[in-house]
Amino acid sequence: MNDPTTHGASAPAGSEPAAGNVDYRIAHLRDRLAAEELGELGVRAEVRAGAVAVTGTVPSAQCRETLLRIVHEELAGLTVHSDIVVAETTRPDHAEEL
Amino acid sequence: MMRVAAVGDIHMGPDSQGLLRPAFETLPDCADLLLLAGDLTRHGTPEEARVVAQEVRDLPVPVVAVLGNHDHHDEQPEKVTAILQDAGVTVLEGEGTVVECGGRRLGIAGTKGFGGGFVGRSAGEFGEPVMKEFVRTTRRSADSLRGALEALGRQGCDARVALTHFSPVADTLAGEPPEIHPFLGSYLLAEAIDTAGADLAVHGHAHLGTEHGMTAGGVRVRNVAQPVIRRAFNVYRLSAD
Repeated sequence: MNDPTTHGASAPAGSEPAAGNVDYRIAHLRDRLAAEELGELGVRAEVRAGAVAVTGTVPSAQCRETLLRIVHEELAGLTVHSDIVVAETTRPDHAEEL
Repeated sequence: MMRVAAVGDIHMGPDSQGLLRPAFETLPDCADLLLLAGDLTRHGTPEEARVVAQEVRDLPVPVVAVLGNHDHHDEQPEKVTAILQDAGVTVLEGEGTVVECGGRRLGIAGTKGFGGGFVGRSAGEFGEPVMKEFVRTTRRSADSLRGALEALGRQGCDARVALTHFSPVADTLAGEPPEIHPFLGSYLLAEAIDTAGADLAVHGHAHLGTEHGMTAGGVRVRNVAQPVIRRAFNVYRLSAD
């Protein structure tokens, strides 16, 4: 996977220019979320008004914590707005009649 | 009345043990069986499968499952299946099972399904071998679903449910970027369901989608991915009349 330090805003001159591109950094974030311990494919990350919005639902509070850590590592130096919720585990209060 | 509880995409891992069990233990109060619509694990490892198995072991209602793409990631779907079966789960892949529900017979036909997209925006069985194999994989899955539903029909079931992980329709993907619909489901699954007949189609996979949809043939479709239904499971009451 990518070393997040190569993608920071202060990447040294002469590093691969594409590495600082926000689109590619988001793509690399998504790759890492899928490949590492979370196996997470259901979280959305997209540029909105100059910031990166990260939204979705994860299975546990621990997953949420891990995800936000990875997001901040991969997107270091960027403004990130996150709205990650933990899946609800209560039983339904009614049934649907079909 | 047959009461069908269903949830998909529970994505269990070592930190999930016990999260769903309290709700599952209330199932006999509201449902005759529990359907699991795939992506039960995060990476499809035996360790994660054992978490799922423990969560549903010895439940007082039958549990019927299909696997999802996550459950294949570790390339040990047979082992995941065996661990779930050992916990009493009926795991379907291209086959059906019959569950007694208050004197009625409910047939469930299940397959993981696969992608390809929807009419007018779908992948074709053409070109490179890998592309042809992609579409053929979905076609084989759809064919097995049709065959299983037809077999359940011949067995005189009072109602039939198609259980998949990938979606048979685009309706229940509303909320997902349209560009990725070909990776979320295929019309071939809906065509199989409409050809063989069913009373309900249940799937998961699309976390950002919506719950309600319908096939072109009028079969109601429900996306029960846990992030969509925002509960431990949903319950659908099917009339056998």
